[in-house]
Amino acid sequence: MLHAYGGHILSVDLASGHTRREKTDPDYMLQVIGGRGLNSTRLFDELKRDIDPLAPENMLLIGVGPLTGTLLSTSAYMTISGKSPLTGILGDSAAGGFFGPELKQAGYDQIVMTGRSDRPVYLFVADDYVELRDASHLWGKDIWETTAAIRKELNDNAVQIAAIGPAGENLVKYATVACNNSRMCGRTGMGCLFGSKQLKAVAVRGRGQLTMADPLGFLDLCRELDQRILNHPEYEKRNAMGSTLLMKALNGIGILPTRHFQEGLCGYVDSISGERLAEEYKVKNKSCYNCNLHCSRYYLTQAVESEGPEYETLCSYTSRIGIDDLEFALKMNAFLNRMGVDSLSSGETIGWAMECVQRGLLSSDDFDGLDFTWGNTQTVEKLLSMIVYRQGIGDAFAEGTRSLAQRFGRGTEEYALHVKGLDIICGDPRGIKAFGLTYAIASRGGDHLRAEPFFELTERYDEAERRWGVREIADRLADKGKAVLVEHTERQALLTDCLTMCKNVGLSMDILDFDFASQLLQTGTGLKFTAEKVDEALKGVIKRDRLMNIDFGIDASMDTLPKRFTHEPLEKGPSKGQVVPVKEMVKEYYRLRTWDENGKPR
Amino acid sequence: MITLALEKCSGCSRCEVHCSFFHSGKTGRSGARIKVVKIEASGIDFPVICQHCRERYCTRCPEKAIEVGPSGQIIVSPTLCTACGTCETLCPIGAIELYQEIPYVCDLCGGEPRCVRACTLDAIRYEPEVSEAVSLKEFKKGSRGLKPEEKRLRYTLTCSQDLRDNWVSERRG
Repeated sequence: MLHAYGGHILSVDLASGHTRREKTDPDYMLQVIGGRGLNSTRLFDELKRDIDPLAPENMLLIGVGPLTGTLLSTSAYMTISGKSPLTGILGDSAAGGFFGPELKQAGYDQIVMTGRSDRPVYLFVADDYVELRDASHLWGKDIWETTAAIRKELNDNAVQIAAIGPAGENLVKYATVACNNSRMCGRTGMGCLFGSKQLKAVAVRGRGQLTMADPLGFLDLCRELDQRILNHPEYEKRNAMGSTLLMKALNGIGILPTRHFQEGLCGYVDSISGERLAEEYKVKNKSCYNCNLHCSRYYLTQAVESEGPEYETLCSYTSRIGIDDLEFALKMNAFLNRMGVDSLSSGETIGWAMECVQRGLLSSDDFDGLDFTWGNTQTVEKLLSMIVYRQGIGDAFAEGTRSLAQRFGRGTEEYALHVKGLDIICGDPRGIKAFGLTYAIASRGGDHLRAEPFFELTERYDEAERRWGVREIADRLADKGKAVLVEHTERQALLTDCLTMCKNVGLSMDILDFDFASQLLQTGTGLKFTAEKVDEALKGVIKRDRLMNIDFGIDASMDTLPKRFTHEPLEKGPSKGQVVPVKEMVKEYYRLRTWDENGKPR
Repeated sequence: MITLALEKCSGCSRCEVHCSFFHSGKTGRSGARIKVVKIEASGIDFPVICQHCRERYCTRCPEKAIEVGPSGQIIVSPTLCTACGTCETLCPIGAIELYQEIPYVCDLCGGEPRCVRACTLDAIRYEPEVSEAVSLKEFKKGSRGLKPEEKRLRYTLTCSQDLRDNWVSERRG
């Protein structure tokens, strides 16, 4: 008997409505674990490479990890994968909440969707009952309205829903998919992929129960993990502020993106900080399924209420674009959540436009008269609505920064801060070198979550020596040894993604290691997931992702960073004078991966 | 009885998970005797559990399979129960529900409720000395024909109103 896994793979052809339910193959799962590893491998094996991401042939996969929905704390995620409409390479994005566990308890490890429906539909899965339902009446509704409407018509408040908003319907290239209203699959435009298939939502109800191979052994390990979280030195802070603690933390080391990464220090950080948010707007903690960190928050302002925001959204809509109004950022967070727009990619289009205007490369004449002066909240609010509905210049902004800058030319491409089409996150890599390398090599483009080498921020020099034999790894400004760190944490990050666990816990808090995960997998699933077997699976996925991306047109020249981070030293603060020597770091990374000098796996 | 500090609940559902695991060695909402209702649009998370109500609706079991134990907990006799569903129908708040032909209701885990232990926010407490029975009469009205999930939602909407009002007055003056 296969324990802990949902036990089935559900295939849905959205064009014909045909569905198929197959048993999960344990031998196959030993090779891919689950979650992102399962999704990536299916794309590698089955996806036609030279298709338009919006074509019916593109695949839309929802994968859940083997231990998600069990007793294991923080394993609340699910991963959506496909060829990215934003970048044209591998796309995937994960979200927590309650959808992943519900899908597992309904008996599934993965949903595979192909084709394109000829009318708006949503997929309803209740254990072994599967139905494509009409969604014409939901088309145009925002995510919160959609979630409420589906629960109402199914007459069941416990149904878990992953839905898109108007942005996904209108094929905004960085549209999101949301679970529980505010838990976002934010990156690489998986909401756009939903929209292209006329799929409004997936609604799941699982009445089954998940078994574990060795329940008491598994329980002991889960208790150990719980203790690691509760006893973590950052527990109090993370519990109070979640990722928004980074506003002040990153400003403190001079890498808080300010005015589109022109500076790393924000003079008004106290008025937009996680501390202020917790003090003045938060009403209580929120949480994903079975988490004991409870790092999310619910807030009320005079104008809006919502869960969140996470750090990336908060920074994207404050310092990164010169805004000092916290209530405005909270209002935008609610708007982005409702409409289903990625805060990072939308925020980058705005930052790019503001910098281009500052430099006199573009003016309001280029933007339907919108005034892109730093911090202009009216412009931001108006533009976002134009993006969602693709009105006027919003139509160009909806394509993403890379495409936007290509359209305008005139030297504006230099200020489009992306890697492989995915906009850079809110951490200036000049003061965190391993993150810089991560953005350069990440298999979905300029993003930190593929490796989250948080260790370099910890100043744990002895621990760095013990683990890797290089003390400098614990020094954020050093570049020595950072390829070693990234090679390691990239596997660790993939492991959390395969388990569809939380990266904050798995990586930032440094709680999940390979031996521990292998014990969890063995006691949970009963399969022979030795540490070696797990590592082999992870390396296999990383290799296949790279080969697939090469098929999509990636080469070594794209494993780099925007010029700002490699040639323009930060001018002030604790990271003053720093740039990322990305070329050397990437070379070293290839060597450790045993890829050739063109970044091709041997 | 088990009492709630609703303002502290984050909705993580650890209570549910550990309840299910303790009773069956498996996890899943259906196997839990406490069920968290989530209303994302208003930020409310509400663990619904047996209130040891004054009316003792579920004990009007036609097979006499349900009785009240010394700590106020509900005891279902597996031999007398015919899974007729009367208890589920009678409970006005959806705190007892049939799953795989067994009525699932809080049994206080023999005096050491696992939901309480699992909650790291101190939102659920076990207070054995508190036994002042709550009346659920007001929820009985209009509960006929509703599924347990609907009854839990209705109960949650009513019982969370004070908390919502507090938030609004605190943050919006």
